[in-house]
Amino acid sequence: MNMPTVEAMSGIESRPIIDAMSFIDHRAKAKNLINIDHISMIYKNSAKKEVVALKDVSLDIKEGEFVSLLGPSGCGKTTLLRIIADLLDPSAGSVRIAGQSPRENRLRQKYGMVFQSPVLFEWRTVRKNVCLPLEIMNVPREERERRVDSQLDMVGLSAFANSYPFQLSGGMQQRVGIARALAIKPDLLLMDEPFSALDEFTREKLNEDLLDIWHKTHKTVVFVTHNISEAVFLSDRVFVLSPHPGRLSSVIDIDLPRPRTQDTRESPEFFALVSKIRKSFEGVYRLS
Amino acid sequence: MKHSKALVILAWVSGVLLLWELGAYLLTAVIRDPMAGTKLPYPQSVVVTLGGNWRTLGQAALVTLSKATIGFALGAVVGYLLAVLMSVSRIAEQIAFPYLIVSQMIPVLGLAPIIFNLVRDMDASRIVIAAYITFFPVAANSLSGFKSVETDKRQLMYSYAASQRATYAKLMIPSSLPYFFAGLKIAAPMSVTASILVDMLGSKSGIGVKLLYSLYGGQVDIFWASVLTSAAMGIASYLIVLLAERVCVPWRTVALVDTGVRHE
Repeated sequence: MNMPTVEAMSGIESRPIIDAMSFIDHRAKAKNLINIDHISMIYKNSAKKEVVALKDVSLDIKEGEFVSLLGPSGCGKTTLLRIIADLLDPSAGSVRIAGQSPRENRLRQKYGMVFQSPVLFEWRTVRKNVCLPLEIMNVPREERERRVDSQLDMVGLSAFANSYPFQLSGGMQQRVGIARALAIKPDLLLMDEPFSALDEFTREKLNEDLLDIWHKTHKTVVFVTHNISEAVFLSDRVFVLSPHPGRLSSVIDIDLPRPRTQDTRESPEFFALVSKIRKSFEGVYRLS
Repeated sequence: MKHSKALVILAWVSGVLLLWELGAYLLTAVIRDPMAGTKLPYPQSVVVTLGGNWRTLGQAALVTLSKATIGFALGAVVGYLLAVLMSVSRIAEQIAFPYLIVSQMIPVLGLAPIIFNLVRDMDASRIVIAAYITFFPVAANSLSGFKSVETDKRQLMYSYAASQRATYAKLMIPSSLPYFFAGLKIAAPMSVTASILVDMLGSKSGIGVKLLYSLYGGQVDIFWASVLTSAAMGIASYLIVLLAERVCVPWRTVALVDTGVRHE
């Protein structure tokens, strides 16, 4: 498997300093990593009635892009993420990730997943939790140790390497989950409402930390959330989904400069984007 | 924490002794029952007997306990492997589980002579019966352990394209251990009791034999000392499993005791 990595192909890694403008310019030229083509998902609920979770959703996600799938519960945002992750099969339509099916992509261990709960193994220390995927992939011991150290350093948990999950706060546990997802050096990071169970202060802190990590690693990130300001703060683009049936209602470009900080949240442009998205939801609810 | 625990144990032990003493006193001194000595002797006289006969009682206990332990270990292994099999294959579960339930409806008292007739060996019978008693709680609890692994954790392993072997080694087996130990804790005293029962079905040695002979021979103090020994065996078996659990499943016990400590 000596294929060139996404970073190498796009040349992002060769730029030493993150310059906001060149970064956005660069993205405009980037290729699509994920093509979602007319995806529908129909469940049968417990009463054997058909529920349309997703109806005819099409969208593209570029290499190195940070996108959010935003919507209220029942809009199918998590379903869409799970289809990309090959945890669910769609009823109709197709998904291609770098030209491959989600299954091929999963079997080649090309993505890291962060769940809503940290999903840590309580019998493993922080270090061993981050190490888990590397053990499964038979990464040699020395390489494992090296990668775990650098991941723990990146999420700021080196001092807690030998702690057990129950000794950590919720925010720290979720950081371990992120470190674990990144340990396998995936091209793609899938995040399913990772901060929704945390308090507002911790969430904002982790949002900033996540952007730091993203700037350092240049992964493509698909981030599911129901929090409008979180989606605006993090993303290059926000895909707004509406419920019953779940469908794509609008795509909002977030052209806020990067790197984004606490000041970004105070800017009029930020408020304008948040309110624009909120208004688009009002439209949806009036219709339904 | 530690202090109050010791206090509870102290209160329990002294409470039992006090009630026993009181009961024995009522029978002998107040009611003046001529059979008081056989009904409920004084605890101190039983303790004296225990001290005087500790060698023979200990030997008898060891005969029963050693066979119970072998059977218990055997039953635990068989029960756990059965649970693994049932969790891997739904069909295996559907075939095996009704048999498991039915097996629990045959009383040990009826089964023990059948087993003895088959194997014609007291030690083998003890082992088989102890194993038979052990495997069901272990299998049922371990299976429920495998089934209660969180979906997210299984999906995490799936997202890594982990093999079934790796999924069991790294997720399913560690997750099931607290449940496995729950089964062991139920089974340990039961397997001791079952072995004592087998002793009584015509064995020449074992604590069950001591119980039976002293009861019929009118050796009241020996009988009560044997009862105490049997009880101690059951309690000891439970405590040993508890200790093993502390060693093998530290995350469980630690998390329960020490949730107050949080960083950040």
